[in-house]
Amino acid sequence: MERFTYVRAQDVQQAVALLNEPGLRSRVLAGGTDLMLLARQDRHLCDRVVDISLIPELHRIAREDGLVTIGAAASFSEVLESPIVRDTAPVLSEACAQVGAVQVRNMGTIGGNVANAAACADSLPALVCLDAAARVQTPAGSQEWPVSELVLRPNRTQIPDGGLLLSFSYRVPHPEARSVFLKLGRRNAMAISRLTVAALGHLDGQGRIAEARLVPGAATPQIRRFTAVEDMLVGQQPDAGLWQEAGRLAASEMVRISGRRWSSEYKEPALAALVARALSTVFASTTSLQGADR
Amino acid sequence: MDEFTYVGKPATRVDALEKVLGTAKYASDLRLPGMLYARCLRSLLPHARIARVDVRPALAVPGVLAAITSDDFVDYGRFGFPVADMYMLAHERVRYVGDAIAAVAAETAEALEAGLAALLVELEPLPPIFDPEEALVPGAFVVGERPWDAPDTPRGNLLVAYKVRGGDPDALLATSEVKVERDYTTMHQEHAYIETEGALAMPWPDGTGVTVYASCQSPYLNRDNLCRVLGLDPANVRAIQPQVGGAFGGKDDQMYQTSAQVAKLALLTGRPVRMTFSREESIIFSYKRDAMRMHIQLGADRSGKLRASKIRAVVDSGAYAAITPFTAWRSSIHAMGPYRYDACHVDTDVAYTNNGYAGAFRGFGNTEVCAGIEQAMDDMAEVLGMDPIDLRLANCLRPGDVTPHGQRLGDDVALADCLKQVRRDSDWDRKRAEYSRERAAASAPAAGQFRRGIGAAAVFHGMSLGAEGADFALCNIVVNDDCSLSLASGLTDYGTGSRTVFTLIAAETLGLRPGRIHMPRPDTDIPVNSGPTVASRATVLGGNAVRVAAGRLDSLLTRAAADLFGCEPVQVLRQGELYVGPSEEPAPFEDVATHARRLGYQLSAQGRWSAPENHWSFESGSGKPYFAYHFGAQVAEVLVDTGTGKIDVTGIWAAHNTGKVIFPQGAVGQLCGGIALGLGYALMERVDFDKGYIQATNFDEYLIPTALDVPEIVARFVEKPFKDGPFGAKNIGEPGMVPAAPAILNAVFHATGQRINHLPATLERMLLGHDLRPEGSSRMCKLGLQATAQMA
Amino acid sequence: MKIAFELNGSPVSVDAPADISLLQLLRDHLHLTGTKEGCGVGECGACSVLLDGRLVNSCLTLAPQAGGRHVTTIEGIRGPGGGPDDLQEAFIDYGAVQCGFCTPGMVLAGEALLAAHPRPTRRQIREAIAGNLCRCTGYQQIVDAIEATASKRSEAKIHG
Repeated sequence: MERFTYVRAQDVQQAVALLNEPGLRSRVLAGGTDLMLLARQDRHLCDRVVDISLIPELHRIAREDGLVTIGAAASFSEVLESPIVRDTAPVLSEACAQVGAVQVRNMGTIGGNVANAAACADSLPALVCLDAAARVQTPAGSQEWPVSELVLRPNRTQIPDGGLLLSFSYRVPHPEARSVFLKLGRRNAMAISRLTVAALGHLDGQGRIAEARLVPGAATPQIRRFTAVEDMLVGQQPDAGLWQEAGRLAASEMVRISGRRWSSEYKEPALAALVARALSTVFASTTSLQGADR
Repeated sequence: MDEFTYVGKPATRVDALEKVLGTAKYASDLRLPGMLYARCLRSLLPHARIARVDVRPALAVPGVLAAITSDDFVDYGRFGFPVADMYMLAHERVRYVGDAIAAVAAETAEALEAGLAALLVELEPLPPIFDPEEALVPGAFVVGERPWDAPDTPRGNLLVAYKVRGGDPDALLATSEVKVERDYTTMHQEHAYIETEGALAMPWPDGTGVTVYASCQSPYLNRDNLCRVLGLDPANVRAIQPQVGGAFGGKDDQMYQTSAQVAKLALLTGRPVRMTFSREESIIFSYKRDAMRMHIQLGADRSGKLRASKIRAVVDSGAYAAITPFTAWRSSIHAMGPYRYDACHVDTDVAYTNNGYAGAFRGFGNTEVCAGIEQAMDDMAEVLGMDPIDLRLANCLRPGDVTPHGQRLGDDVALADCLKQVRRDSDWDRKRAEYSRERAAASAPAAGQFRRGIGAAAVFHGMSLGAEGADFALCNIVVNDDCSLSLASGLTDYGTGSRTVFTLIAAETLGLRPGRIHMPRPDTDIPVNSGPTVASRATVLGGNAVRVAAGRLDSLLTRAAADLFGCEPVQVLRQGELYVGPSEEPAPFEDVATHARRLGYQLSAQGRWSAPENHWSFESGSGKPYFAYHFGAQVAEVLVDTGTGKIDVTGIWAAHNTGKVIFPQGAVGQLCGGIALGLGYALMERVDFDKGYIQATNFDEYLIPTALDVPEIVARFVEKPFKDGPFGAKNIGEPGMVPAAPAILNAVFHATGQRINHLPATLERMLLGHDLRPEGSSRMCKLGLQATAQMA
Repeated sequence: MKIAFELNGSPVSVDAPADISLLQLLRDHLHLTGTKEGCGVGECGACSVLLDGRLVNSCLTLAPQAGGRHVTTIEGIRGPGGGPDDLQEAFIDYGAVQCGFCTPGMVLAGEALLAAHPRPTRRQIREAIAGNLCRCTGYQQIVDAIEATASKRSEAKIHG
């Protein structure tokens, strides 16, 4: 006996209708990399899956009037291979490039990653760093949220029942902006992120920090820009000591936001180091050694 | 000088083609019409009395055709060697989470699930023990075998104790100019073969017997166990080994259980029965490498000459003895490392607990103690202010030396050559100096600084079973009518390459192309029982038996050729596959074989080879534990992120004294594979038991190295010939793994000044100096076993 | 439900439950056992297949998702004569095969890489097979085999 049935949606309208059909618990199926794991543990997960992975408009990556839009069903591979994303937001390309391994990147989608909202989801810090907005379609119409507000905490988003993530969009950052995504795992591939840091910024004409965006991941229940650290950085001259200070501040912010946990003893110094390294990469004229060069 | 045609030359693995095409069949690929599916109900308690098991409700489920318990086996299915404390299905007590209580066979997966859920099982919890030292405290609740078999062995939870005694280390340690005294701890390790376990039993149509295809290392032991518990003669039980997707020591004892379960179910139902495993069930129920705590004392002169060693080890054997009496014995023999001492004592105590159970795993006790002693040697080098390779060169065993056990070594010892080789290959001296300078120059670890380090480790590994027992191998060889040859060995190949090694040895001995020689799947109907395929014994034991059999056949063929040419056998020469007589007229092999048959010769031969004598006195703790030893050395280079604690291994150089390498590609593969296992052991593999529940039940949390974690490896062989090996060969399977972990940890010490004496070296241990983990739970075990039976 | 797709270049149609994985469909319903199950959770890559030319874990792919698409399994990787192709030959020649259980997945990972990147560095090869766990080989000779194949194919292009 089947645990659930399968239907493939041809377009967004049909998908939304299927997801909201009364009397059936329907779930979105995109890449399947999260859903299949959930189904393995819970045989009563849903009555039906609605496959949205082949809807063309949900794969579209485009740049129009300074706004980049990425379809929610774009796979990590599609995002990291996109020249538009690479040119405007290396932080997002790098985040997608470090997810799992090639198989997971080919199937897993950026929308699925956000909707599943794992504490360690890699796309989240990058999207929040870009101040990305998420568009969600429901029978009532479409709504937009900043990603930082859409994801409330691990495994909990504001996506309404029966809602379908359509796309993410971000304003193209300053032409001189540089960005980076650092991932720390227990091994070099197929690793759950222990900590991540997404950082972006640029200097002004006098070489001072004009803009700084800093988003740690797998560090706090909600993924947010660490504005206390950003405010401290703006207007300052790049300096190794500054990065250390920013790192320490980020670590204490993390504890202030999350409270002290069993992992804090490790995450405080590790986050401080990663933040310092990320800022140094974004603002320094030469990139620092980020790991073993083979 | 190039004297060989096939041995030591580029050759391809004999069964590689079917593997690359995807046509090779492993246990879970086998299916038969009418096949039933089987699964066990497993304990979710670490220690409990089985108060009641009622299979009748399961039998009432439509589609369920049989359900069994220990009552369905002779003597309750008791087995185990050297200690028979295990049962094919748990009897009276369950002793670890995952212990099988009953097995069900059904026609569909749904019926099977329903059948398992319907079983009525009542377990009464008993006090569990999770710490081996606690288990050994007098008066501790006995979780091990009860009552104890051997009357004069200590009672309680002490499974076995071993000692090595040479001289008086206490006196020498007291007067040593330089001393090191440290604790080193290793964890359990999961084999993580990519193919999980599986077995298919086929009852014979005439009802008199059963054939079992099992993903098992040692089909003959499997067959013997099956005979005993099923009450059948060897003529009525056949065990065949299909392709096996890796074993590393992990597919013996538990495979005997799985095989017996499916065999019994098949005999009861008259249908084929197959049992396969999800990764979760495999990790939960299968045995692991033991965990060990070592307390090591070393004493030396200021000049760097080692004087004394004293090692005390406690081994966590878990719920059952399995092979741990043998691994612990090997541990005690190897605990002091390949060095000369004036005095050495080793004491190893093995405890029963309820942490899963421990069994064979590549290295077999040496992996654990080498991780201890090689780090201790490094600590000694540090205290002496001496280069670690120099310290080893000053003290390592050399030809003719007497070991701490009192054994005089032969001239096949090449450890110093291995150390010098890796020193050269890795550019050790320059890097050692450069990385030391970097560390000294840097300010107190500034966050985000990367440190480089390079470290070394040496290994000796007694070959084959040692004084554990009878050590011999058998081989059959026959020329078929079509002039192909069939070669059968009692020692099997589960990825190790032994089939190719045997084929090359036979080819070389007979002067025939390897392509002519075929090996059938290991099959107990072929009477070549050679004991277990373990202990890296295949090349020497199996290879020598092949050489003997092939040599006998070769004599027959030569005599036939001599008769054909009308000359003396000694006048028959070979040119490739051709036989050439004094008249220089060559005869192809086919003609010689045909002539031999015409003469009435039986073109088949059996070969038997026994290992030279060993002897060990358990009372005096001395003797000649192994007839010879493998030696090797490895150097590892690491890059440590002192900001996060992440350790990357950036290079490994290995040199092993393997004697003559028969199958070069295979030897390189075994060495690289072993190193990857050691890397995982050092850095990322951890089996955490929390109140007896394994925490990581799949590969998302039990981490093994990926292609991005293992560096480029430089693998070298020091081929100093070994007179007792086929064509001078030794072995490589296990010893390739053993020194990798300590080499890496020694490199980490060089990079950071931090000694990580508790494996694995996780992010937290590196950064904080201690481990950090969330509270454990039974959740993953419960999910993984999805046992929905009503348990009171 | 009926699931119809192109498998190794030929159309197939199977009646199967909607809630099974593509891996189960291939092994249990189509009886193609070359694709292996190593973990069931997309960590080991032994179940790797090509879906529209992209390497994916078939254990995490719902079977109906293959509908109307192109699936390539190890059984579809063959040379012109029906024997091993050049990459499979290289796996044999370079010692990249021991127990063989990860091999089908590794071969597919290699094919997928070389189709997209004809001259990968050793680092890129390692990245391409990072989702395929091997417990036997330590990866060294697998990287050798893929690298050698890339080299030969490039030379053939230049000279052929």
